[in-house]
Amino acid sequence: MSATANLSPNRDDRRALVVVFLRGAADGLTLVAPVADDNYHKFRPRLAVKKSNAVPLDDTFGLHPNLRALQSAWQEGDLAIIHGAGGESDTRSHFEAQDLMEHGGPAAGGWLGRFLRTRGPAPSPLAAVALAPTLPESLSGAPSAAAFESLREFAITDARKGARQEDFARELQRLYALEKDALHDAASHTFEALRRIEAIDTKAPPANGAVYEEKYPFAQGLRQIAQLIKADVGLDAASIDLGGWDSHFTQQTLIEPLMLQLANGLAAFRRDLGPRLATTTVVVMTEFGRRVAENSAFGTDHGRGGAMFVMGGGVKGRRVLGGWPGLKPEMLEGPGDLPVWNNYRDILAPVLTQHGADTASLAQVFPDFPLQPLPLYS
Amino acid sequence: MNTTSRREFLITGASALALSGAIFQSVQGWLGDLQQYTGRNLQRPLSGPLTPSASAQIDPAAHALNRWTFGPGPGDYARVAAMGTDAFLEEQLAPEKIDDGLCDRAIARFSECWWEPLGEAYEEDAEYLPPVLRRVAILRPVYSRRQLFEVMCEFWSDHFNIDPGKGDCRYTKIADDRDVIRAHALGNFREMVRASALSPAMLWYLDGRANVKRTASEKPNENYARELMELHTLGVHGGYTQHDVMEVARCLTGWTILAKKDDGFSGKLLSPLKDRARVVFRKDAHDNAAKQVLGQSIPAGLGEDDLDRVVEIVTSHSSTARFIATKLCVRFISDEPPPAAIDAVALAFADSQGDIKATLRTLFARPEFHASTGMKFKRPFHYVVSALRATNAETDADRGLLSYLEKMGQVPFRYPTPDGYPARAQHWHATLLWRWKFALALANNRIKGTHIARQEIIARLGGDHALAATVLNRQPNTEESDALGKSGDNLALLLASPTFQRC
Repeated sequence: MSATANLSPNRDDRRALVVVFLRGAADGLTLVAPVADDNYHKFRPRLAVKKSNAVPLDDTFGLHPNLRALQSAWQEGDLAIIHGAGGESDTRSHFEAQDLMEHGGPAAGGWLGRFLRTRGPAPSPLAAVALAPTLPESLSGAPSAAAFESLREFAITDARKGARQEDFARELQRLYALEKDALHDAASHTFEALRRIEAIDTKAPPANGAVYEEKYPFAQGLRQIAQLIKADVGLDAASIDLGGWDSHFTQQTLIEPLMLQLANGLAAFRRDLGPRLATTTVVVMTEFGRRVAENSAFGTDHGRGGAMFVMGGGVKGRRVLGGWPGLKPEMLEGPGDLPVWNNYRDILAPVLTQHGADTASLAQVFPDFPLQPLPLYS
Repeated sequence: MNTTSRREFLITGASALALSGAIFQSVQGWLGDLQQYTGRNLQRPLSGPLTPSASAQIDPAAHALNRWTFGPGPGDYARVAAMGTDAFLEEQLAPEKIDDGLCDRAIARFSECWWEPLGEAYEEDAEYLPPVLRRVAILRPVYSRRQLFEVMCEFWSDHFNIDPGKGDCRYTKIADDRDVIRAHALGNFREMVRASALSPAMLWYLDGRANVKRTASEKPNENYARELMELHTLGVHGGYTQHDVMEVARCLTGWTILAKKDDGFSGKLLSPLKDRARVVFRKDAHDNAAKQVLGQSIPAGLGEDDLDRVVEIVTSHSSTARFIATKLCVRFISDEPPPAAIDAVALAFADSQGDIKATLRTLFARPEFHASTGMKFKRPFHYVVSALRATNAETDADRGLLSYLEKMGQVPFRYPTPDGYPARAQHWHATLLWRWKFALALANNRIKGTHIARQEIIARLGGDHALAATVLNRQPNTEESDALGKSGDNLALLLASPTFQRC
């Protein structure tokens, strides 16, 4: 492996995977509403998205109007949606379900961490990042993974002074340049990555007129991920959370602003990346969906099946994949929940294949699970 | 230290302070607590001569310190140079004779490490014990004087890797660390393998608990049997077949752990809690027919003694000697060790029937070992600990420090798969940036919970030149001296330098 080959002077051919986790169990039936289903409106007399308000997707579904920013991604075929998605945990516990899903089953390490391990030595100090104060469990066990909140952390600085240690960096570079072995290459590769990060003008406006809302950390996080991708620093995977979806009461007031954040952030990211979206996949997931019937407090309780989104990276979009049995009362599970008929692994597996995983590595990423990958790319 | 019941500990904590005969120990424990929280008073006293190496090269005393320890601190070179490397090795090979008061104080508050019975650990929150284990795993190499022992504990922790993130391992890895890794790190390999086979955490991690044969049609779970041969003993090309894997799995059927409820594999519903995770042999779930393992017959009817036969067969196999010798030579000589060294170490391992001390003595006497100075690239954990030791740092081993290990991808006990953290340099080259940032942060006291007395150390050592020779473990060369002078931060540059990445 040549270190410098992974940071080519021009544009990298690397693929970047961006995982957005909606913590708190986002209501898939509001995000992607089966507006043509009469039972949906019966179960949700007050909370259902009205067909007339929805952003039309197909004969069955419409997006919540606050997700309108995703309409162009849908129409241009960059966005696929999977309903009835989730994991096997039926405890309906946020902790259990997130833990199992991020670990990819009762296995050690996170699914994303194991995926990155199957790719061998980390080629870049920035191969995996989390826009968060700490690493999410999904990245546990990654060869190298950095949690950060600002790109400025990727510099040789004295945190106290915040100033660049010019003399230190220069002398360090000089000592490593004298080395003869692989350490020489590793250092020059690292200095090149630093140079590219330093060259990022974090204040520069995003490309193609994209607008990331200033006040939202989620949007600003996506903006920084886009900057890393465009700077070719060797990013393989990024993780970012959007929390607050646990809408037991007054659901609309809780999640309507979140949906705006989600859609506007993703739309800005897509626009900003431009052609780089072809090698960048965004996966949006949540630990479980919510009860089909609304509760007495204008909310919904913990359920099972939810919705997942896959955007970019060559996905064959403008489709709601994985089937839809309809909301018949007799097919609901347990206390009245949409079942899970699309295991999250069967959605992640084809994405990972697109990002270079082979059958053997998929078996390591998702051990003890008979994969039936969804046809996201055909 | 004796084992403690968790309940005993909780009940007696405060009142025993005034009453118990172990009052001194308690007070020390409490002081340990306070010192941990303030992150102070855990410095090694800088007593005795602190003269660093006067050699331009890594000399034998410096080499011994580089390889047998997690890196020298101030004064270590002078001590080893004075006593000689042979005496130093013998000292390190008898860790039980080394007074380790500072380390004992550093970890005193983590009484969880000695809890028995293990079942009571299940009273804790699921997320509580792994961080305790991780902090102790950092504090010991930083503070212990039993350095070679700690080096070997790290080595075997990778060899018998268990990630406490899987299932009940979060409760039981703490006992595996104590009763398998630390109990046998410098002992006998066969006994360590046997202990590992019966470790509650290993029975969970590699599914041994679910390896049952109750009906004619039931298929044993092969997970542990395969890893036992592939990773723990013979090595992947060690000459075993799929048939051997299946036969070993059959031999080990019936060994399981008591669970909260019968999940089909484990014993019956249990109370009291203290019995949880206790290892039992379920005769009714054991395949008691004859087996054939690696060409050797195991007669029918041996029951639980099948285990001992399997352990004997796999640990005495010639591939195992070679596999362990190779791993040891990679750890202590170089990423691609000379075959002559591997041959000699494998022979020592086989001749001594897996005596780890005898094996190490042979390895450390080899010319290939002596010729390999400065050739090993430190893994991130080794790097961080060696920097803390070189600067005589005090640390609480908590979040502030862990975040750096996280960025470098080597938090203790967080490697997901059973093969353990990679040993060779190429896996770790992408971590340089975080090492440099760590060097700057440590040198300038910007790591929460970690502190160095920078000026005091330089003054005690006798100036910047002595500091350089202490950290590099040899005299700085012309380029290094020049760079240090111009860098504006000589300590950070020393810790970030190419030389300090190696040992």
